[in-house]
Amino acid sequence: MSKVRIALGIRAQLLLVLTVFLAIPWLGYEYVRELERFLRDAQEKTLAGTAQAVATALHDRPRLFDAPAAPRESLVVERSQEAMAADSTAAASAPPAGSAGGSGGTGGSAEIAQIVQGLSRTTARIFVIDRELNVLARAGSLKRPSLPDAQAAASGAARVWQWLERETLHPLYALVLKQPSEDFGEEQAGRVALPAREVDGALSGILTVDRRPTPDGKAVIVSAAHPIWVGDQVKGAVIVEETTNAVLAERNRAFERLFSIVLAALLLGSVALTLYAARLSARIRRLRDEAEAAIDAQGRVRGVLAGSNAGDEIGDLSRSFSSVLSRLAQYASYREQMASRLSHELRTPIAVVRSSLDNLKLSPLPDDARVYMERAQQGLNRLTHILTRMTEATRLEQSVGEDERERFDLGRVLTGCVDGYRVAYPQHTLKLELPSGEVIFNGAPEMIAQMLDKLVANAVEFSAAGTPIVVRLERGDTELCLSVENEGPLLPDTMGGRLFDSMVSVRGDQASDAPHLGLGLYIVRLIAEAHRGRAMAQNRDDGRGVVVSVALPYAAVS
Amino acid sequence: MSRRIAIVEDEPVIRANYADVLKKQGYEVAAYAARNEALGAFRTRLPDLALIDIGLADDIDGGFALCRELRALSANLPIIFLSARDSDFDIVAGLRLGADDYLTKDVSLPHLIARIAALFRRSDLLAAPQAVEETIERGKLKLDLKRLAAQWDGQRVDLTLTEFWMVHTLARFPGHVKDRDSLMRDAKIVVDDATITSHIKRIRRKFLVLDPAFDCIDTVYGMGYRWNAEAEQ
Repeated sequence: MSKVRIALGIRAQLLLVLTVFLAIPWLGYEYVRELERFLRDAQEKTLAGTAQAVATALHDRPRLFDAPAAPRESLVVERSQEAMAADSTAAASAPPAGSAGGSGGTGGSAEIAQIVQGLSRTTARIFVIDRELNVLARAGSLKRPSLPDAQAAASGAARVWQWLERETLHPLYALVLKQPSEDFGEEQAGRVALPAREVDGALSGILTVDRRPTPDGKAVIVSAAHPIWVGDQVKGAVIVEETTNAVLAERNRAFERLFSIVLAALLLGSVALTLYAARLSARIRRLRDEAEAAIDAQGRVRGVLAGSNAGDEIGDLSRSFSSVLSRLAQYASYREQMASRLSHELRTPIAVVRSSLDNLKLSPLPDDARVYMERAQQGLNRLTHILTRMTEATRLEQSVGEDERERFDLGRVLTGCVDGYRVAYPQHTLKLELPSGEVIFNGAPEMIAQMLDKLVANAVEFSAAGTPIVVRLERGDTELCLSVENEGPLLPDTMGGRLFDSMVSVRGDQASDAPHLGLGLYIVRLIAEAHRGRAMAQNRDDGRGVVVSVALPYAAVS
Repeated sequence: MSRRIAIVEDEPVIRANYADVLKKQGYEVAAYAARNEALGAFRTRLPDLALIDIGLADDIDGGFALCRELRALSANLPIIFLSARDSDFDIVAGLRLGADDYLTKDVSLPHLIARIAALFRRSDLLAAPQAVEETIERGKLKLDLKRLAAQWDGQRVDLTLTEFWMVHTLARFPGHVKDRDSLMRDAKIVVDDATITSHIKRIRRKFLVLDPAFDCIDTVYGMGYRWNAEAEQ
């Protein structure tokens, strides 16, 4: 039994089970990721569509590209190192950026700008370039206009919730999710860096879609490049770019909503479960306390459980406890009444024998008959003695608690009693140890004397002649302790509290004249309990004998 | 004319045994098994003394009822309860109904005979007031040994036979401790210690009714009781 066991209450166990539900936010996170992928695909398709639409509007209009070169922006094409090395000519061919921005121009380029302007969207940037990477037209911006704070909260509660969300939840989300920022750094002023892959792809006649981070890494830009055909020649390309911020914001909103709901459900669930578990464990604890209180340290039934009315298993348990206890109590009271019933039933046959013998004694009898007369009389006397002992316990059971209580000096009663025992048990040495001064106790002195009679008789019976018997009275804070010690055989382990039950005896089979009914210590217990005290028996610390003690509370009488 | 004793007892063997021993003592005996049978006979002719069992077969308290009815027929007739029941409750109830004594069935027949004889003597002398007196006086206590009657400060103390004998035992040698065995022996009863204790309590109570300051019977714990002569003053 040395195994270490972790004691977990029902509440703790249920809360542990509740952690399973923490998987729900994770599932939600996965779901939102899936949603994000879907939205990105959709965004790419949209961009590709836009690029295609612009390009379609510009197809087969060679005039647009023939216009003389106006002061225009040129494009920086970003290439990776290898690509640069492999295609240094292309890089070299790109002239440095022009002086002025703006999409202004004459002729073709103005017409393109017109067309592009019509197709532009708020959050996308559209470039039209020619084969020399000259920007023929541009429209739109990557940055979204900052939205006015739409939710100017109406009610106070909503405001509190928003505040809560801002203060507690958003920092939490920020740990899990990347917040889209409109504060990304764009390309250096006047220079537009376009991804080489798209540009190259588009100029070689292929619709290319790709994504790349901004130079400062704060946002991701998705770009789509579509070639512009004039006849079967690629004359230029349309590049449409957009940040993923809209998708990210959508994803974040979805996740936040989901997380808030799950969090609320979890909170509610754990509160409900905790309450339920608390109720459950409180009921079980109450049942345990009741069951423990119903049986005292000596294993006697003190009171019967009421039994719960609840229809569930705990109610069942309580009811079965209750019935077990009441059966136990019935059995105990049956045993305690046995002496009473037996003595009552024995009295009549004994009276028959006694009156017959008495009659016989008055008649003339032959001498040899007298011997048997005597023997019959002896047997009868012994029987009567047993009967008297049994009656004593029965009478005490009936009269206990009815005796008037008085305040008396317990020390004086003990002194008187011990003087009597010295006469009654000359073969034993009786020692009396009293605290100094009067020991005033509120109780029935006759009963206390009767109790001491039984305690000393018990000690005498279990000790060898000549050994000392110590009667000791000690003052405690709340109770007096009266104990009688003797040297002799130790108590068997198994007897424990049962010693003080009716008709229980630890005597061996040794022959003895006195009847052993196991009523002496039962009487001790009855009297102790009548004074709201308790009787205990244990082996002496030095292992040489037994000490039977009675604790008597000072406030014995209500 | 020999005295007539009525025995009301449901147990036939005990009834016969008691009847036999009393007949041997020269008494005339009328034995009855049930209450109605006995009461019918009493109405025709009263016995000189009645021995009544409390439980009469199915009639659990039949003896009590019979005692009440008999007491109504005669105020002076000595009545003794003889029962297997020995609770204080039964003893008090029996004595309150006007019985002169209450014995448990383990009383021996010689004790019973002595008691019957004493009761007859008492009823005889009560009827003849001019008899010779034989008394013990201890302060306010006066014991009339012939009539088996006790007085405290001139007032009659209504003691049963058992109680009278106990008081006599104690008062004969004031200051001497009488243990329970000698009290039992002198009172001609065989009971347990606790019964002696309740007898003493009842005696004290009877004196206390007459004199709230009564404190003559001392308990000597572990030994017995004694008559405290000093307390009389």
